[in-house]
Amino acid sequence: MAGPGAGHKSIKGWLIMIVVLSQTLLAAGLLVAGILYTRRQALSTLDGRIQARAMSVAALVRYTEAGDGTVYFDDSLAPPSLDPYHPDWFAIWTDKSGLLTRSKNWPAGFEMAPTGPDRWYLKLANVRYRGLRLARVSVLDREEGDTFHPQTMTIVYASPTVQLDQQVQQSALYIALSSLLLLTVTVPLALWGIRRGLLPLQELAQKAALVSTDNWELRLPEEIQRIKELLPLTESMGTMLSRLHHAFDQQGEFLGNTAHELKTPVAVLKSTLQSLMQRPRVLEEYRTGIEDSLEDLERLEQLLQRILRLARAEQWAQGALRRDLQVIDITSTCEDAIERIRALAENRNTTVHLSKNGPVPFRADPEDLQLVWINLLENAVRYSPPGGSVEVAVGWRNGGGAQVTVEDHGIGIAPAHLPHIFERFYRGDASRNRATGGFGLGLAIVKTLVEAYGGTITVDSNAGKGTRMTVTLPAVSDR
Amino acid sequence: MRVLLVEDEPRLAENVARSLREGAGYAVDVAHDGQEGLFMAESNEYDAVLLDLMLPQMDGMQLLRRIRQAGQRTPVLIVTVRDEKESVVALLNAGADDYLTKPFDLGELLARTKALIRRGKGDPSPVLAVGDLELNTVDRSVRRGGRSIKLTAMEYRVLEYLVHRPRAVVSKTELLEHLYDYNWEKFSNVIEVYISGLRRKLDDGSARQLIHTLRGQGYILQD
Repeated sequence: MAGPGAGHKSIKGWLIMIVVLSQTLLAAGLLVAGILYTRRQALSTLDGRIQARAMSVAALVRYTEAGDGTVYFDDSLAPPSLDPYHPDWFAIWTDKSGLLTRSKNWPAGFEMAPTGPDRWYLKLANVRYRGLRLARVSVLDREEGDTFHPQTMTIVYASPTVQLDQQVQQSALYIALSSLLLLTVTVPLALWGIRRGLLPLQELAQKAALVSTDNWELRLPEEIQRIKELLPLTESMGTMLSRLHHAFDQQGEFLGNTAHELKTPVAVLKSTLQSLMQRPRVLEEYRTGIEDSLEDLERLEQLLQRILRLARAEQWAQGALRRDLQVIDITSTCEDAIERIRALAENRNTTVHLSKNGPVPFRADPEDLQLVWINLLENAVRYSPPGGSVEVAVGWRNGGGAQVTVEDHGIGIAPAHLPHIFERFYRGDASRNRATGGFGLGLAIVKTLVEAYGGTITVDSNAGKGTRMTVTLPAVSDR
Repeated sequence: MRVLLVEDEPRLAENVARSLREGAGYAVDVAHDGQEGLFMAESNEYDAVLLDLMLPQMDGMQLLRRIRQAGQRTPVLIVTVRDEKESVVALLNAGADDYLTKPFDLGELLARTKALIRRGKGDPSPVLAVGDLELNTVDRSVRRGGRSIKLTAMEYRVLEYLVHRPRAVVSKTELLEHLYDYNWEKFSNVIEVYISGLRRKLDDGSARQLIHTLRGQGYILQD
C-alpha cells in the first residue's frame, strides 16, 4: 500500500486534525467563559463590599451640635482598609459647601471633581482601583425635631482590585489545567476511535487485494458487510467485479474458441503440404497440392476475417469504439444486400422477394446493416430447397422503430438447436465440415451488431417448414 | 494392413489416407460421418481405426463406445482438436488406445498408427523377426540371415501381415481383407502371385522354406 506521501490526502489525518482542533477550541472557550464569569462574580462581590464601605463612611458624617445644619466628618471612627497593602481611599463632598473630607491616604496632588461616573476603574501608582460614586446621599444622623433643611453629599470610595485580579487568574489557571488534563485523555481516545473506525476500510483493502483473475470473489467478513457507510462501496465493488469477471471470461472463451476453430483449417493445410512433401511428386501433383493449399488458406483467411469482424462488433457493442454514424435508409441496405447474394441465390435457383414500404431512416454504418442482412439471407438461401423462395420485409414496427424480417421455407431449425444458434461457433451438426459452409459465426455477428445498435433479433422456426428471423431496430431519435 | 479413417473434413481425410497408403503401404477406407464409420467398422476387419471426434450423425466418442461394446479389439487412434485433460482421460477410459491433437504432423500420425498396429498384434518392437527373417516396419526393409532382400510394395505388405501373425494359418481372404480397401474382391487372384514372388526372394540361398501353403486353407509363416 502507498504511504500517505505527497499528494495523498489522509482521512485519518483530517479526522485527527478536526478532533484536536475542536477539543482545543472547546478548552479555549471554557477558559474564556470561566474567566468572564469569575470576573463578573468577583466584581459584583467587590462592588457590594465597596458600597457597604462607602455607606459606612457616609455614616460618619454628622450634624454639628449647633443645630444649624452644618456637618463634620467623624474621623476617629474611620474603618480600616480592606487590603492593608493597598489601602482604600475616599472623599466626601457636601452638596452645599463642597469637599468635606478626604481619607488620610488620599494621593498627594490628585484632584477629583465630585461629578463623574458611578463605577469606574482608575490607576494610581501602578495599582488598579475600582471606584464607586454615590451622589445625593442624605446625612443620616438627623434627629426628630430638627428644623433645618437636610444636607446631601457625594461620596467617592475606591478600593484596589488586586485581590479580584488574583482570583480571576487563579480560576483561569484552574480551568486551563483541567482542560489540558481532559485533552490528554480525550485526544488519544478520539485517535483510538478513529483508527478503529477506519479499520474495516483497511480490511476491505486487504480483501480487495486478494481478488485476482484466479479468484474473482470478494469475500467480506460479516462485520464489514454490516457497516452502513461501506455498503455503497462494497456493493459497487461487487457489481464491478462480476462485470469484469464476465467480460474476462467472455474474452477467454472467445480466445479459446478461436484457437480451437483455427486448429482444423491449420491441420488441413499442414496435412496437404506434408503429404505433398512425403515423397517426390510429378509436377501435376505439386500443382494440385499448391492449389489445394491456397484454397485451404483462403478458408482460413475467411475464418480470421469473420473472427475479427465479430471481435470488433463486440468491442463496439461494449462501447470501446466510438464511431460517427450517419442517417441511412434501411430499405436500401436491404436492396444492396440482396444484390450481393444474387449469385448464390441464382446458383441455388432460389428467388428473393423484397416487400418494402418506402425509406426507413436509421442512424448506422451502412456496412454493418448490410452485413446483418447478408448473413441472414445467406442462411435463408442455403437452407432453402432448390427452387425455393426467401421473403424479406422492411417496415415500421408498432410503437416506433424499424422491423426487418427474413423468412425462408427450408429445412428449419430443430428445437434442440434453437436456443444456441446465436452462440459463437455453434453449428447444428457438431461437424466442422465445409459442406455446410459456415463457421458458426454469422448469426453471432448478426446478434452482436443488432444489439450494438440497440435492437433485438428473434427467431421462429418449424423444422421442415422454414425459419423467420425478425430484427427490430429502435427509432432514430433513440440513439 | 487395413485402416479405417473416420474424418468429416474431406481434404484432411484425403491427405491422411494418401499418407497412410504411400508412407506405410496400408489399405485405407475413409468414412465421412459417424454412422458410416460405425457401419464400416462393424462390417470389415481393420488393423487400426483413426477416429475424429467431432463428426456429423454420430460423434467419435459414441462410435468408439459402440465398437468397444461390440467386443472389437481393433486399436483406435483418436485425432481431435480437443486437448483438455478431461477429454483425454475420458477418451482413454472409453477404450481409445492413443490420441493425437490437430493440427498434427503426418509423420507422427504414421508412426503412431504403425506402433498401434504392432501392439495390436502383440509385438511392440518395430523390428519383427521370425526365425532368421527380420522385418523393419520403420524403413520397411527386410533381411534374412543378414542378407538384405528387396521387395515390391505389395510383396512387403503381404509379408508384413504374415510376420505379424507368425505360425498362424492366414487365409487368402484374410490377406485380401487386410491388404486392400473395400473393393478387395477384384484382387482375389493376385495374392498367389505375391506369395510366389516372396517365396522366391526369401528362400533364395536358404536351406529352409519360410512360407508354407496349406491347400484349401491358406498360408503359414514359420521357421
